[in-house]
Amino acid sequence: MAVLKINGEDKKFKNAVPATLKNLLELLKVDEATVVAEINGQVVPRGNFHNTILQDGHKIELIRFVGGG
Amino acid sequence: MKNKLIIAGKEFSSRLFIGTGKYASNEIMAKAIEASGTEMVTVALRRVDIQNPQDNMLAAIDRKKYLLLPNTSGARNADEAVRLARLARAATEINWLKLEVTPDPYYLLPDPVETLKAAEILVKEGFIVLPYINADPVLAKKLQDIGAATVMPLASPIGSNQGLKTKSAIEIIISQATVPVVVDAGLGMPSHAAEAMEMGADAVLINTAIATANDPVKMAEAFKKAVQAGREAFQAGSSGIKKQANASSPLTGFLRD
Repeated sequence: MAVLKINGEDKKFKNAVPATLKNLLELLKVDEATVVAEINGQVVPRGNFHNTILQDGHKIELIRFVGGG
Repeated sequence: MKNKLIIAGKEFSSRLFIGTGKYASNEIMAKAIEASGTEMVTVALRRVDIQNPQDNMLAAIDRKKYLLLPNTSGARNADEAVRLARLARAATEINWLKLEVTPDPYYLLPDPVETLKAAEILVKEGFIVLPYINADPVLAKKLQDIGAATVMPLASPIGSNQGLKTKSAIEIIISQATVPVVVDAGLGMPSHAAEAMEMGADAVLINTAIATANDPVKMAEAFKKAVQAGREAFQAGSSGIKKQANASSPLTGFLRD
């Protein structure tokens, strides 16, 4: 069992976590063009999602723009 | 007197900025933005809803026409605001930022100490910082001195539609401003926006009054006209208020003996 903490909630994976951030976004059906990501508090530069390797226990924030004043 | 608004070297034809919150749909929001004539719209950053990952309001905003101004709403202190600012820059690849730090959820009044602290950090990191502040002339001066691109004093609490409750303090801010003054928050009707522009504000930022109107598109048009009218009145220059009547018609040549 492997776990990623995504937006404050644990997501469990049977064998291993997805290999890369890009793989995770595909699994979650999140369009990577619309999000910004943080792993363990560090911003992942746009364009680096495909070569950002995920590890068991990573804390991931997936953030996007919403309406606001 | 120059008629174009310039913030951090960028020229704006419209002096009305629009917030994108609270609209009933992305479609109505897009139409209201268009009707307002604005060139800059604010947006907020929030966690992706993993259960509903398709929702993407940004698709409704034509980024060739409208500059995005990400805000740091939700930040309760300087550290949280700086974190949101860095995320916003990573997401947009632009460095414009509406800095807001509001620890109290009831009145949503901005924290002056944390706002100044965050502004100092972000200006050093190359952000174009537009800080949302209470109408505090001393704070406004400190912010412009450390390199904020504007100051954005509130007219009254966010979303309250109360109008220009802080008028006399904003007059002082305008009188000592070396950067554009954008009146933000609380302007509930076009007449409020016109009043702010008549007294010499450089721009206004409107969200709730438009987004929650019965007809947001019509209200956006009304604000557009009010902002233009207020600006033109400011440029035209009033002769001021007098206590006594001053006849508009001649006081000679009456038809009486």
